[in-house]
Amino acid sequence: MARALARHWGALVVFGAAALVPIVVRDAYFLDSLVLILLWGALSAAWNVAGGYAGQVSIGHASFFGIGAYSAALLGARWQQSPWLGMLVGIALSLAAGAAIGYLSNRLKGPYFALSTIAFSQVLLIVASRWRAFTSGSEGIPVPFRPGFATLGLGHVAWVYLALAVAVLYWGIQVWLEHSRFGYRLAGVREDEDAAQALGIPARRLKVIAVTASAALTSVCGTLWAQYVGFVDPFYVFSVDLSVRFALNTIIGGMGTALGPFLGSILITSLETYLRATLSGVKSGFTGIYLIVYGVVLILVVRFVPDGLAGVAGRLRARRARAHA
Amino acid sequence: MSATALLSLERVTKRFGGLTAVREVSVEVRAGDLLGIIGPNGAGKTTLFNVIAGYYRADEGRVVFDGHDITGRPAHAIAGLGLTRTFQIVKPFGNLSVLDNVMIGALTRLASTREARAEAERVIAVCGLGPHAVARARALPLGLRKRLEVARALATRPRLLLLDEVMAGLNPTELGGMIDLVRRLHADGLTLVVIEHIMAAMMRLAQRIVMLHHGEKIAEGTPREIASDRRVIDAYLGEEFVLAEA
Amino acid sequence: MDPARRLGRAQIDVFAQLGVSTILLGGIYALIAVGLTLIFGIMRVVNFAHGEFLMLGMYLGFWAFTLLSMDPWFVLFVSIPLFFGIGVLTYVLVMKGVIHASHNVQIFTTVGLSTALQNTALVLWSGDFHTVRPWHALRPIRMLGTAFNLSQVVAFVIALTLTVLLFAFMRFTHTGRVMRATAQDRDAAILMGIDTDRVYRITFALGIAAVGAAGVLVSPLYAVYPTAGLQFVLLSYVVVVLGGLGDMVGALIGSLIVAAVEVAGSYWFGTAWKEIFYFLLFIGVLVFRPAGLFGQRGAENLGV
Repeated sequence: MARALARHWGALVVFGAAALVPIVVRDAYFLDSLVLILLWGALSAAWNVAGGYAGQVSIGHASFFGIGAYSAALLGARWQQSPWLGMLVGIALSLAAGAAIGYLSNRLKGPYFALSTIAFSQVLLIVASRWRAFTSGSEGIPVPFRPGFATLGLGHVAWVYLALAVAVLYWGIQVWLEHSRFGYRLAGVREDEDAAQALGIPARRLKVIAVTASAALTSVCGTLWAQYVGFVDPFYVFSVDLSVRFALNTIIGGMGTALGPFLGSILITSLETYLRATLSGVKSGFTGIYLIVYGVVLILVVRFVPDGLAGVAGRLRARRARAHA
Repeated sequence: MSATALLSLERVTKRFGGLTAVREVSVEVRAGDLLGIIGPNGAGKTTLFNVIAGYYRADEGRVVFDGHDITGRPAHAIAGLGLTRTFQIVKPFGNLSVLDNVMIGALTRLASTREARAEAERVIAVCGLGPHAVARARALPLGLRKRLEVARALATRPRLLLLDEVMAGLNPTELGGMIDLVRRLHADGLTLVVIEHIMAAMMRLAQRIVMLHHGEKIAEGTPREIASDRRVIDAYLGEEFVLAEA
Repeated sequence: MDPARRLGRAQIDVFAQLGVSTILLGGIYALIAVGLTLIFGIMRVVNFAHGEFLMLGMYLGFWAFTLLSMDPWFVLFVSIPLFFGIGVLTYVLVMKGVIHASHNVQIFTTVGLSTALQNTALVLWSGDFHTVRPWHALRPIRMLGTAFNLSQVVAFVIALTLTVLLFAFMRFTHTGRVMRATAQDRDAAILMGIDTDRVYRITFALGIAAVGAAGVLVSPLYAVYPTAGLQFVLLSYVVVVLGGLGDMVGALIGSLIVAAVEVAGSYWFGTAWKEIFYFLLFIGVLVFRPAGLFGQRGAENLGV
């Protein structure tokens, strides 16, 4: 127990702080940022399952986010169904789409897998934005707000705890991946598929499972996000920028580490919030500027800190341990 | 075909386009054997391993392991039956520690990570990798990476282990250590098929040797028989220095 | 955009029209894809930001026309050296450091570059759609039962000329031969004393100059906006994969195939859905013919 605490003190600090904040702070703007940090962190953790743990780098995860968002929004707006049902539908659709993408990962390597995931998200974007009769096309869909837990019409504080629960769950899934038989074998597949197969590991099946699971986890957060924000815009939910964001948070925080996606989300979401506050007066609008920063940060991080914040922390700890020894 | 064969290749042929890399090769390996496969570069040795271990599909012929026809089965399924291999160009799980590398091998037979860790520590000790257990695999020098390759395969508790040039590129000390390791494994009852380019090492190690040349089996026999075989000498003619070491 | 629709079906011969449209479009796609396949073939880097350089070329065409009333055809004289310079700069600042890095590092470096460039355009010039309408974009030409506008024809001719020039450069100049040698065997090239850094710099700059020129040429044909490059980058990857990676002749043929799919798709299903055909074709090609139509070493070997 003590060892587990020692190993996960970082997670304890992050999630503990998130749990305490709503007790102390009542500022809606601040709580809003916290919900987004947790949701983006959970989404990045979902991406990490495929990208970091299985080594299948997708730049089309917005596909699954959008599927989750649209499933709940359409069911809610057109048939007055509960978003929880929409979440289940989104999971089912994402499992199918994720399995298809996972299958692609067995045919395509590296950049080609990444390209095919972008292409997939673009196909969904075109369908969502052009199929006016069903999806309302490029106008998007407002998600009706109906108070109550069954309809996910919650206040800020409740949203913090819901997002926190999801974040902790996803963090736990990643920790499990680091310590379970499945996770070890998946790491083998990530590092070298041929060698993994020589050890009896069904590499292709493991990759499909990881990508499919990652898709479903992403979809769940897509549903939550749509209910939280209250509007689904096809050009946002299926955008390449969004897919890049999941990857960016994870890369900054540390790919293949459980806490990395959340550290990255804290940094990037805070940066975004800060830039939004400072630059809101600028004429040309703020959206582009923080995305320019994203792009530049991404280039610099993969070049100079490829193992991210978690990696840096790990190295510092190792150095300190060596100094003590 | 003898009833006691653990592995038998029956007229196995593998072609790449117009090139026949392996032509109608038949080999039998009995339980407890230590069989060597020699041949000049491009003789088809590694291709043969790739066919046996399920990385290539044989165009003709059959591969039978322990009574199962494994021809065309996926590599992981073949490894699951207890036939595993190492790679000539080592393929360590580079970003993982030596211990984790070997654990992943151990998890092939074991369900619990705790047991797998204990097993991995044991195998690491056997292979003389103890002092490097926490090192990142990619940071190891080649000699130790070759050992890791063997250790990881051993951790799967194979009944037949294919070693692909685990001695190439080693310095004399490392080479001696590797020969000792292979001998010890064999003495403990493991069946091995060893590809080696260095005849000298093979002469000291193998009970029986198969010689491949241009994809065909041109000789089979004890090291002594092979060393005096005219065809073998002809095939290695350009590489007399290798024989001279023997 | 599509004259076949504008003029109505009665006035034109559908199949001749589709054929001519395919060839015109294919020539332009070839110029885009040739730059990509050059960079890929020689540097082994997949440039996710390729489309953004096309987009910048389109903006150059747009601004030169709007502010200076400069015809896109003449802008080319500025754009080619300018984009060559941008290519050199991008190589030195961004690509040089990751040329020997892992695929993931290269992917995210060029994705980061793509994001940064797209949004620089967004911040500087807003997300509005712009159009360039020089006189030749409005001049229909009718011939043998087909109709198209002069911009398309000239863009095609220029694109083809530039592509051929690039071929000639690769085949007949010393630098071109050195570049091809490097593409074949990087290590041998280094051993032979080839300055690979210089080769990569020139390669990247040429690829960017080609795609920048393509951007200028298509500015009268397509709407100009910050994410205009995305559809082109994906389709040029289809072209490159179809033709075999790094194969310039293959890229020409691949361009015609992609153009044919697009033209036929937008004719029968409407232009609103035409992009979906690129993407489906793209995924289909990657899944079923990853080695390209001509069986060259292709996508499946890339990760090995």
